[in-house]
Amino acid sequence: METIIGFEIHEQLATRTKLYCDSPTNYRDVPPNTNVCEVCTGMPGAKPHPVNQEAIDAVVEIALMLGCEIVKGPIYIQRKHYDYPDLPSGYQRTSLPIGRNGNLNGINIWEVHLEEDPGKYDPTSGKVDYNRSGVPLVEIVTAPDLRSPEEARNFLRELIKILHYTGKARAEGGTMRTDTNISLEGGARVEIKNINSVKGAYKALKFEIARQKSLRKRGAAVRRETRAFLEAQMITKTMRLKEEAEDYRYIPDPDIPPLLITPEKIAEIKAAMPETPGMKERRFVAQYGVKPEDAKVLASELELANAFEEVAKEVDPQFAATWVRDELKRVLVYNDKSFAESGIGTGQVVDLLRMIQAGEITPKTGKKILEILVAKPQPVERIVEEMGLGKIKADDIIEKACEEAVAENPQAVADYLGGKGEALNYVVGQVMRKTRGRADAKTVLEMLKKKVQG
Amino acid sequence: MGGVEGVASYLESIEEGKEVNAFLDLNPRALEEARLAEGKLAGLAIAVKSNISVKGLRAACASFTLENYVAGYDATVVERIRKEGGVVVGMTNMDEFACGSSGETSAFGPTQNPAAPGRIPGGSSSGSAAAVAASLCDAALGSDTGGSIRNPASHCGIVGIKPTYGLVPRYGLIDLAMSLDQIGPMARDVHTAALLLEVIAGPNPKECTTLKVEPPEYSRLLSRKIDGCRIGYAREFEEFTDPRITSVIKKSLDRLERMGAEVVPVTLPNLGKGLSTYYLTVFVEFFSATRKFDGRRYGRKIEEVCGREVLRRILLGRYISQKEYSGKYYKKALQFRSLIKRELLGALEGVDVIAGPTVPKLPHRLGESMDPMAMYGYDVLTVPTNLAGIPAGVIKAGEVDGIPVGLQVQGEPLGEQKILNVLYALEDGGC
Repeated sequence: METIIGFEIHEQLATRTKLYCDSPTNYRDVPPNTNVCEVCTGMPGAKPHPVNQEAIDAVVEIALMLGCEIVKGPIYIQRKHYDYPDLPSGYQRTSLPIGRNGNLNGINIWEVHLEEDPGKYDPTSGKVDYNRSGVPLVEIVTAPDLRSPEEARNFLRELIKILHYTGKARAEGGTMRTDTNISLEGGARVEIKNINSVKGAYKALKFEIARQKSLRKRGAAVRRETRAFLEAQMITKTMRLKEEAEDYRYIPDPDIPPLLITPEKIAEIKAAMPETPGMKERRFVAQYGVKPEDAKVLASELELANAFEEVAKEVDPQFAATWVRDELKRVLVYNDKSFAESGIGTGQVVDLLRMIQAGEITPKTGKKILEILVAKPQPVERIVEEMGLGKIKADDIIEKACEEAVAENPQAVADYLGGKGEALNYVVGQVMRKTRGRADAKTVLEMLKKKVQG
Repeated sequence: MGGVEGVASYLESIEEGKEVNAFLDLNPRALEEARLAEGKLAGLAIAVKSNISVKGLRAACASFTLENYVAGYDATVVERIRKEGGVVVGMTNMDEFACGSSGETSAFGPTQNPAAPGRIPGGSSSGSAAAVAASLCDAALGSDTGGSIRNPASHCGIVGIKPTYGLVPRYGLIDLAMSLDQIGPMARDVHTAALLLEVIAGPNPKECTTLKVEPPEYSRLLSRKIDGCRIGYAREFEEFTDPRITSVIKKSLDRLERMGAEVVPVTLPNLGKGLSTYYLTVFVEFFSATRKFDGRRYGRKIEEVCGREVLRRILLGRYISQKEYSGKYYKKALQFRSLIKRELLGALEGVDVIAGPTVPKLPHRLGESMDPMAMYGYDVLTVPTNLAGIPAGVIKAGEVDGIPVGLQVQGEPLGEQKILNVLYALEDGGC
């Protein structure tokens, strides 16, 4: 039985001011109802300011990143009427599609458009905070192309990655809100609202599939309805049946002339747009000769990809790719951090890889240092010293230098073994040269004695 | 007069003229503001319609819905008036939420017509027109969605201007129909109306629908020289109009011809189609605009306390904006609107202005019952102007049985100066 899943994803845009007024958007940092004005609280007589250009550009960029074509004609802003305490004017403004017919990893994107966030209503206290009212949102609507909760989860992760790449969406947690449509082959479509995270989406879908399957098993029909996801219980619950569906009485907002996105504007945004993760992957393979599977991991996070490119300027790219992909990423995943969150500087990675390449530390030591770095970013040198890793380093290196010196000076070794005790001093000198004088001569002498005497 | 004494004397007149019921709220700081006033309008007493926000005064829209709502900010037009020294003396009565053409739908009682006692003053800017006609202020602000400035100006025998859509900021104007509403001046003479218009007109960067045009100084450019001016007149006006009104209007046209203007016939075959187009648009937009009066923020839910006309419009708006009808009504109305606009702009191509009657009937007696369709019929000659977004001005043309009759002069977009000049020429009283 095939599962059919589609999404409507809302993400706040990282603009400084709201969509239709000058009120700031940092509503999380201020007391309730302080980032407000007569426009975003819908005071009688207030009119929307011209649409925030930064928000329009962000939606165009996101649509382009998702492979959408940008709508050429006039794009109307519509009023969507419904009655709820968080809506100060009794309607929400939502644009008609700005981008259409996109695709992300084989999942079709039906449309991308611009909306305003409503305020925040707390049913328990009966209070409304309008700080959020009017914050711009991008809404992304997918085709029902997803076939399993796992696929859905991967898609959402990939989508978040793209939004993050643009830098135009708000990165703070909890701001991604999705509605999802799900049906089992031949069954009615159910919409689930109130999903606030990727994990939530996955859990809601898992629950819903089980619910629908069990209904079928019992011979009952799945009703066409809208259900709410209750995050705490990880279940979904009926909100309203299809017959109760609201009529939003959409009209084009008479206060706002339609948007017009010119080809010049699209070209300008395209030129300044970051690469998509896919483009980056292909470029890494072509430009640095890294393996495709490494490139995929490297491009999974913008900061990680940027760090790799920085490091690749200083050390061998393929060596860097292997280390960043295998070791750094492993430690990051283990610690459940993104590269950006870890706070590691690219300079630290460069230092570390250089030391490994120069043989100053062993790969094993290198891995240990990475773990420390992820836990607490600091200069690599300091870790080496403080953790006594320098000792390991010294022994490793001196030993190696001794081996080399013995191999390179068979005559001196033979002379020493033949009884010329001072012949070994020449070999000590060679070791000192190799270690740039940093080794202790007495230690070297002892080591050499052991070595030649086997 | 003007200045502090002027304002003081108006305040006295307002007190004495209470039976006109022109004002719903008075500005307690008017005298103080008059003392500090400087600028083009220094010390001029301005009455403001109760649907325009004046900080600290009640913008009740003559409705129980907003009975106790005190505006927290100044409308852009009010800011501009204050900047030029104009003094807001008070908030005027009106048809509830500007829904009406008689001044009778106010929740706070109808306004009297000072120029025709016992008759309606017209509406919806009834209090503003009456205040001007009764000399309770120097000038007033009205709003005009389908004739709400011009209709009462005609019935009260004063000058009223409905500007080009987008010339005057709407910021702070409580909506009737957003795509049609315009604020405009009302005054006893053309010069004052022109002066007030030039102060309030001009782009507002905080609004999407104002035009990016700096207005000229209309008052300084006023000219009575209208020889060579081509004035269009449509025969279709007569199909709707009381012949006694038509005859007054024709006399005005004759006077204009004697002053050197040329009266040219134009045709407006779709003139009568404006009304249904207009009302469908108003119902839908008004329904949308009133959703915020849900009883959560302003005390009372509009449907629970409003009068019959407001409720009728909300319910019709709710009905015709349903998904299943959206193509049938609202979108059709939008299509018809472009047709009417094309027709008017086409007619204006060959002439400087189009002149004709403002209201097809004489104002009825206060309290006389009227069915809604007859009431809507008052607007048949004024709504096309709003549908086309063009400007129009009204001036007293004469009287029928002692009742004022106003001539309406419509012009091309941003053709305010031409309109004002025609009104100015007629005002002179010559010829």
